[in-house]
Amino acid sequence: MTEKKIKDTTLRLVRGDIAAMEVDAFVFYARPDLQLGSGFGTAITQRGGPAVKKELEKLGPVATGSAVVTAAGEMKCKRIIHAVGPRFQEEDEERKLREVMRASLKKAEEGGVKTLAFPPMGTGFYGITLDLCRKVMLDELRRHLEGPTALREVSIVVKDSREQTPFEEAFKSL
Amino acid sequence: MSDATRSHKAKKFLERLPKKLSRQIVGSLVGCVHCGMCTQSCHYMLSNPEDPTFAPAHKADQLRKIFKRHIDWTGRVFPWWVSAKSVFTDSELEDLKDIAFGKCTNCRRCTFNCPMGVDFASANRTLRGLLVHVGVMPEGVAVVSKDQWEIGNQMGVLKEDYIETLEWMSDELSGELGDAGARIPIDVKNAAVVYSINPREVKYDPRSISDAAKIFWAARENWCMPSECWDMTNFGLFSGDDDLGGAAGRRLFEKVMELKGRKLVISECGHGYRSTRCEAQNWAGQSFPVDMESSVITMLRYIKEGRIKVDKAKNKESYTFHDSCNNARSCGLTEEPRELLNLVAPDFREMHPNRAENYCCTGGGGAMSMSEYTPRRLKSAKIKAEQLKATGATVVVTSCHNCVDGLSDLIKHYKLDMKVTQLVNLVAEALVIPAKVAAPAAGKVLALAGRTIMVVDDEPDALTFFSALLADHGARTIPVSDPNEVLKAARKEKPDLITLDISMPGKDGGEVLCELRKNPETEAIKVCVITGRPELRKLIYDRTVRPPEGYLDKPVDEAKLLTNVRKILELAHEDVPVES
Repeated sequence: MTEKKIKDTTLRLVRGDIAAMEVDAFVFYARPDLQLGSGFGTAITQRGGPAVKKELEKLGPVATGSAVVTAAGEMKCKRIIHAVGPRFQEEDEERKLREVMRASLKKAEEGGVKTLAFPPMGTGFYGITLDLCRKVMLDELRRHLEGPTALREVSIVVKDSREQTPFEEAFKSL
Repeated sequence: MSDATRSHKAKKFLERLPKKLSRQIVGSLVGCVHCGMCTQSCHYMLSNPEDPTFAPAHKADQLRKIFKRHIDWTGRVFPWWVSAKSVFTDSELEDLKDIAFGKCTNCRRCTFNCPMGVDFASANRTLRGLLVHVGVMPEGVAVVSKDQWEIGNQMGVLKEDYIETLEWMSDELSGELGDAGARIPIDVKNAAVVYSINPREVKYDPRSISDAAKIFWAARENWCMPSECWDMTNFGLFSGDDDLGGAAGRRLFEKVMELKGRKLVISECGHGYRSTRCEAQNWAGQSFPVDMESSVITMLRYIKEGRIKVDKAKNKESYTFHDSCNNARSCGLTEEPRELLNLVAPDFREMHPNRAENYCCTGGGGAMSMSEYTPRRLKSAKIKAEQLKATGATVVVTSCHNCVDGLSDLIKHYKLDMKVTQLVNLVAEALVIPAKVAAPAAGKVLALAGRTIMVVDDEPDALTFFSALLADHGARTIPVSDPNEVLKAARKEKPDLITLDISMPGKDGGEVLCELRKNPETEAIKVCVITGRPELRKLIYDRTVRPPEGYLDKPVDEAKLLTNVRKILELAHEDVPVES
C-alpha cells in the first residue's frame, strides 16, 4: 500500500475491489442516464439490491461533469457517489474530468463523508488514458485536501498492476 | 462534406487510425486484388449468395477506402482512381459498425483462402477497435467489455459467487467420489497446474468445472484454481480493444506468477486459448514467463502417461467434432482433440470440411453478445446446419464454449436432432474410477426429495419433460401452463423453486417474475429462467426487481437441469445410492 498525508487526510493507493470496500462512500463512474449497466454497475446491482436502481430512476439524466448521491442498499459502504465523467474521447476531456472530480468531492463534503474511495476515473472501458487520469486525480485531490475538509481517508482503488504502477510513480512526486 | 464539418467522433476515429496499423494490416489493406476467392469461403456469403455486401473483400473495402484516403499515397494523390473515401459523420460510423460487428465473426476462413494472403479478419478487428475507441459499438459489446475491464471477467461474476460455485462443486465431487479430499484447491502455491476457465462455466455450465476437477483428482494432479484473475477469455480479441486484451492477459499471467504455478492450463475455449496463448503478450507489450497449454493436451497427456484410465464404451452415442476457428485456424490445435476424442468415444464421424477449413459455428467474434444481429446470424448459419446434418452424428463435440452456444442456437433454429458437448465432459464420463470409491448399486436417496418445484411453460412438451424429469429425482412438481395463474398457484403451494419460461402468450416471464418478487408471500421463492430465446433475456434483467437465481438456455438436458436446480437449491449431492 502506498500512502501520503496531506494535512489531516491520508491519501492511499489500494489494490482491490472498490465495490466491496467498507467506506462512507465510493465513487462510481456513471453514465449520463444513470443506468447502472455492467462492470461496477453489476456489483452495485447484485450486492446492493434493487434500491439503488430505484433511487437513480428519480435522479437522472444528469450532465457530464456532475455527480449525484444515493444510498448503497445492502453494500458494505454507506453511500455511492455517481459521477458522470467524459467518455470515449469526447471533447474537453480534461476539463470535464476535473469538473467531475470536484463535483464528487463536493458531494462527499456535503454528506459529511470521512472515508471515500475513487476508482481510476474513466480509465479502461471509457478510454481516459492513465497518464491524464493520474495527473487530474492527484492534482484535484491535493488541491481539495489542502483546503478545509472533513475527509480523513481517501483511497484510489486500482484493480491491477497496469493501473497500480503509474499511480505509484505519481504518488512519489506528491 | 469537408474537414471542417467532420464530427468529433469521426475526427478521433481518423486520429487513431495510424496508431492501429501494423505491417500485417497495411499488407492486407493494399494486397487485395478483388479476385473474389474469399466469397466462396465466408459462411455469411454462402448462406446469403444474393447479397454481395457480405463478401469479405467488400467488408474490408470499407476500412480500405479510408486507409487509402488518409494513409496510402495513391488515395491522397488520386482518390477517385482508387475509390478512396473519408468518414465525416456519426451516421457513417454507425454504418461501419453494422459491417464490422454484424456481418463478420472474424473467423478467418477467408484469410486462409486468399491467394494474396490478405487477413480480412484482422482488418475487421482493426475497424472494430477504431469504433470502440470512439464509443461506437453494439450494446452487448459494451456490456461485456465493461464487465471484463471492471469486474475482471466477461460475465460480471463476482468473487463471492465464483468461490461459492467452486465450494459447491467441491462438495458435490467429494460426495460423488466418496473421498473427502476430492475438492477444488484454491490459490495453492507452487502447484503443477493452475487451471483457468471461461466465466460461462461458473454461470451456466458448472458441470464442466466439476468434470475437470474429477479428471485432475483421478490423475492425482497437484493443481489449483485462482481465487481471482481466473478468466482466460479475452473480449479484447472480439472488440478490437488491444488495451483490454493486454490488461486481461496481464491479470491472468501475473496471478499464475504470484502463485508460482508451474503451468497455466486453459480450459476448452477457442478465443480464450488464442488470446491467452498467442495474442495477449503482444497486446500487453510485455513477455510473461508462463508455461501454458490447452486442457485438451493436458487430458490427452494424462491418458498417454497412464495417469487416468478411460473406458470409451461409456460414451454410447455417435460423435462428430467441430473445430473452433480460433483453435484450428489461429493456433493449429486440430489433431490433439481428434486423438483424444477417439480415445474416449468409439463412434467418431469426421465433419467435412474440417480442421482449418471448417465453417464457423456462427456465434464467434462476440456474435452471441450482439442480440440485434441474431436473425442475420441464424440465417447465415444455414451452411453450418447442413454441414452438421451431413455427419449423421447425434452429438457434436467442440473445444470451445462460444461454439457450444453458437451451435446449440443453430441446432435449435434448424431443428437438428443433435446435442453439443465438450471433450472434458466425455473424458469425465469415460473415466474409470478406482474400485474403492466406486458407487455401490442399490436403492437411492433422490436428490430433490422433499422439494416442491413449480414448472411454468406454455409449451406442453416442455412442461411434461421438465415436470417428469424433476419428479424422477424426487421433487413434487406443479406444472403451470398459464402465466396468469403463476402468482396464485405460488401463493397457494409455496414452492421451493419455480422454473420459468420467458416467451409466453399473454404475459411474458419478466412480468411474472415482477409479480412474484413484488408479492411478500412469494418474493423469496427462488426462480430459474429457462428460455429458448436468449435475446429476450433483457425482459428479465432490465427490471428493478431482484434477478432470477438461475438461468438456462433451451435445449436443456437432464444433467444440465439437475445441476442447476441443485445449485440454486444448494443441494450438495446427486441421487445417492444406499446399500439395501
